[in-house]
Amino acid sequence: MSVTLDRHSFPFTAIVGQESMKLALILNAVVPTIGGVLIRGEKGTGKSTAVRGLARLLPEHEVVEGCHFGCDPAALEALCAGCRLRLEAAGVLPSHKRRMRVVELPINSSEDRVVGTIDIEAALRTGTKRFEPGVLADANRNILYVDEVNLLDDHIVDVLLDAAAMGVNVVEREGVSFAHPSRFILVGTMNPEEGELRPQLLDRFGLCVDVEGIRDPDERVLIAERDAAFKRGDHEFANEFAAADHNLSRALAEAIAAVKHVRVTHGHARLISSICVEAAVLGHRADVVIDHASRALAAYRRHATPSREDIYDAATLALAHRARQPLRRDQDETSSPEQGEQQEGSKPSESEPGDPQASESESGADASAEASASASDSGEQTAGSDQGMTTGGSAGNESSPDALETFNLKRIDLPRQRRVRKQGGKRSASQTADRRGRYVRAEPKAKVNDLAIDATVRAAAPMQKRRGRIAGERLMLEREDLRQKVRERKIGNLIVFVVDASASMDAEQRMAATKGAILSLLQDAYVRRDRVAVVIFKNRTAEVVLRPTSSVSLARRRLEKLSVGGTTPLTHGLMAGYKVVKTELLRDPTIRPLLVLISDGRGNISMFKEEPLVEAQKVAALIDSEHIDALVIDSARDYSHLPSVQHLARVAPMYQTYAINACADLAERMGARYYGLYDLSRDEIASAVERELSRGR
Amino acid sequence: MAIDRYSYPFTAIVGQEQMKLALVLNAINPSIGGVLIRGEKGTGKSTAVRALAKLLPDQQVVEGCHFGCHPDDPEDWCLDCRERARAGALPVTTRRMRVVELPINASEDRVVGTIDLEAALKEGSRRFEPGVLAEANRNILYVDEVNLLDDHIVDVLLDAAAMGINTVEREGVSVSHPSRFILVGTMNPEEGELRPQLLDRFGLCVDVEGIRDIDQRVAIVEKRAGWEDDPNLFYQQHAESEQSVRSQIAEAIATFPEVSLPREILRLIAQISIALEVDGHRSDLVCARAAQAKAAYDSADKVAVTHVGDVAEMVFAHRVHSVPFGKGGPNLGEVITRMIGQA
Repeated sequence: MSVTLDRHSFPFTAIVGQESMKLALILNAVVPTIGGVLIRGEKGTGKSTAVRGLARLLPEHEVVEGCHFGCDPAALEALCAGCRLRLEAAGVLPSHKRRMRVVELPINSSEDRVVGTIDIEAALRTGTKRFEPGVLADANRNILYVDEVNLLDDHIVDVLLDAAAMGVNVVEREGVSFAHPSRFILVGTMNPEEGELRPQLLDRFGLCVDVEGIRDPDERVLIAERDAAFKRGDHEFANEFAAADHNLSRALAEAIAAVKHVRVTHGHARLISSICVEAAVLGHRADVVIDHASRALAAYRRHATPSREDIYDAATLALAHRARQPLRRDQDETSSPEQGEQQEGSKPSESEPGDPQASESESGADASAEASASASDSGEQTAGSDQGMTTGGSAGNESSPDALETFNLKRIDLPRQRRVRKQGGKRSASQTADRRGRYVRAEPKAKVNDLAIDATVRAAAPMQKRRGRIAGERLMLEREDLRQKVRERKIGNLIVFVVDASASMDAEQRMAATKGAILSLLQDAYVRRDRVAVVIFKNRTAEVVLRPTSSVSLARRRLEKLSVGGTTPLTHGLMAGYKVVKTELLRDPTIRPLLVLISDGRGNISMFKEEPLVEAQKVAALIDSEHIDALVIDSARDYSHLPSVQHLARVAPMYQTYAINACADLAERMGARYYGLYDLSRDEIASAVERELSRGR
Repeated sequence: MAIDRYSYPFTAIVGQEQMKLALVLNAINPSIGGVLIRGEKGTGKSTAVRALAKLLPDQQVVEGCHFGCHPDDPEDWCLDCRERARAGALPVTTRRMRVVELPINASEDRVVGTIDLEAALKEGSRRFEPGVLAEANRNILYVDEVNLLDDHIVDVLLDAAAMGINTVEREGVSVSHPSRFILVGTMNPEEGELRPQLLDRFGLCVDVEGIRDIDQRVAIVEKRAGWEDDPNLFYQQHAESEQSVRSQIAEAIATFPEVSLPREILRLIAQISIALEVDGHRSDLVCARAAQAKAAYDSADKVAVTHVGDVAEMVFAHRVHSVPFGKGGPNLGEVITRMIGQA
């Protein structure tokens, strides 16, 4: 098979660096059941170039002629209904060869485009219900590429998960009932700074790689040079990499052919499972993925059976997003792999048949480099320092308060209709102007701007005879037939708690009150679609202990472990809370965030090398300028009965304000309401949050 | 849409005995009321439900009935069957109980059913086209990621589940038809909670987690690889065990109504309910039925204490009041072990 280079596709092998990304893609090409790859990292690191480049290198496969879903004529089990009928009728399915395609799922896709929908033309012309395939149909046996997958609408994610899990897309909507195969290699990219991926979707990605811009100046120059050569259509460049791509393509075809016979030995299967147990992964998907990926890797490296090295390389890719404990290769591994084998607890008697050189085979291009070199060795997420995972240290005086009962919180009742923001609440749900959200039913409406074709046709159908339609002609529609789509969205409030966990007199109460408040809010979340996030700050960092969630069980688990102690990095806390809010707003501008700061307001750790309290004031002003609603709960004292905060702020000179009441000052600067913590125990937090949310700005 | 393709054999699922048992018990006695499977991702929840389809028993249905009415159950007949019965004996046929899937993005018209488009066009008549709830009658209705279902659809589902009847008033059609289904749902609690009304609808609830045992994990991977290599061969290898479970279920269906429930067993169940401070009496009934089904599955002719012990946790798991941070409330496992031990 020859690889044709055209002016529009950059050769895969000409991509500089990013070895683990390229390897992860290659492994998926060899064994598609690995389950795709998630590429996390900055923009402009060649992610989509690599995906497209790879697709051109894959061997062609047999598809049934004229089938929407590109069925494999040899896989009788997986045929779509149409192909089955054709096979029964004709006894044979005509087919031709086709190259794997990259099908893109744009993040603003509507659900009907993704899963497929009723064929509008057929519905209007003849009144027949025909299924018009969507992206999931196109994606069958191809690569489904989702750029910025973390920004995908939740209900699209649900659909995607379902199809990915089943390999089948089941449609029961808009009058059509249909199921078709939808097996695809899911490739997603995301920039973690713009928000996390839902855990369920994260787990669906077989492999995960973190990419970053290359720091080496020489390599950067090389990138620029190759890009320039490509753009001007340099022949030398084209020839060089056409040859390299060709070699890689051949190596891939060989690996695909060989992988059927590659098996993980029983001893190494135990190694895989013990790696997974040690990494404390949830569920069993990781084991299966590592098994598949190491076989793909072995086939690609021309090993008869996956070596220890292959398994660890595969595990690095498979556990990057799953490990809850860092993945460790054996300590001695570099010095003596054989010793490592025995110490890992797999049976020492296991032989290792046919493990030739563990280095890359000379199969072709530079792309066959090992994953180990550049793949991140740690499963831990290394986000920005202000979002770091653990705060560590200061174990001495930490304690874990759980005196919830002292704060017998009233159920917090957040009003639904506060602002003009569109909300997909429970029964109050109405269609959203931007036509986002899931189409759940249709209704007649004076002015229809989001037409529900299926319902409209159904409404018109019984009238056709009376209106004198002749069979076979187009439907006769009248205004009264038109139906509007009613869409529901899961939107609600986002309440971000920023909680001071530094050691002080009131720390325990603060924590207990916070825990109580959060759980109280979440108890109702299933109806409200409210979500809660928690940022804790203590010692020298702030940590997002709870990403926005509506899950009580998740919140409970995360909150159980919270402890107090150490100094007060207030600025870090506010910044982290601010970032959480911004991220969520980016994903969905219609949400209404509320930032709740629970602290005594006495920050003593600097983040930007300024006086800590001045820093905090600046962040507070930033929050105000972005019109983020906020609420400040002063845990130090009960000030709520004192003269008004505004009054205090006005009379006190700026530099003294925080000395008098740092918290009230922050509240003023944030444009936030201010309450004393002691009010919390008197059921006041409920009305406090309520008042805040109903206040509007 | 019924599924029978792509399914992994039930008996090839490693471990997760509680989950498998809960599914089997429901197949034996549908009045147990379904099962909710909660658990982390990648623990075979969906696989198990889909695999169950092949083990389900045959049932008698009225031939040509959209709703699969039971020929011997005139109380539950749809209008159509009633009318046909007046004209003469109903034709009877046998079909296998099915797993009917409700995708979470289903729209209302497909769930409850709607006007038959073609009939409307051709004849100008308003005929009813059955939806998923019709198909689910006397079958298993399976909702994957049930906690993500739209509220609106949940309301419809709850209505139907409560009455056993689906009432449709839309687009000029006005129909009621039987819709008694075994509700089976799977969910990952990390993705959000389930509405309490819906939670209460599930007779049983099992929590699954990943297996920590290395040998079992290896077995999972190896079986999976075997299945992916050659599904047909793999299925044949498990055909015998599948057939044996299937006939065991069929036998239990025939015998469970005869399995006696001694008074002291009912007392024990009541005591457990009281000790766990559950609301209402549904738990007692479900527990008795589940224990009875388990006894029948074990070929016993009388429910024993051990049968109650086998099912108690799945009966009560979702009915015990949750206390924030797990303090102060009765501990499910402890209470059950203690009560069973005393009995």
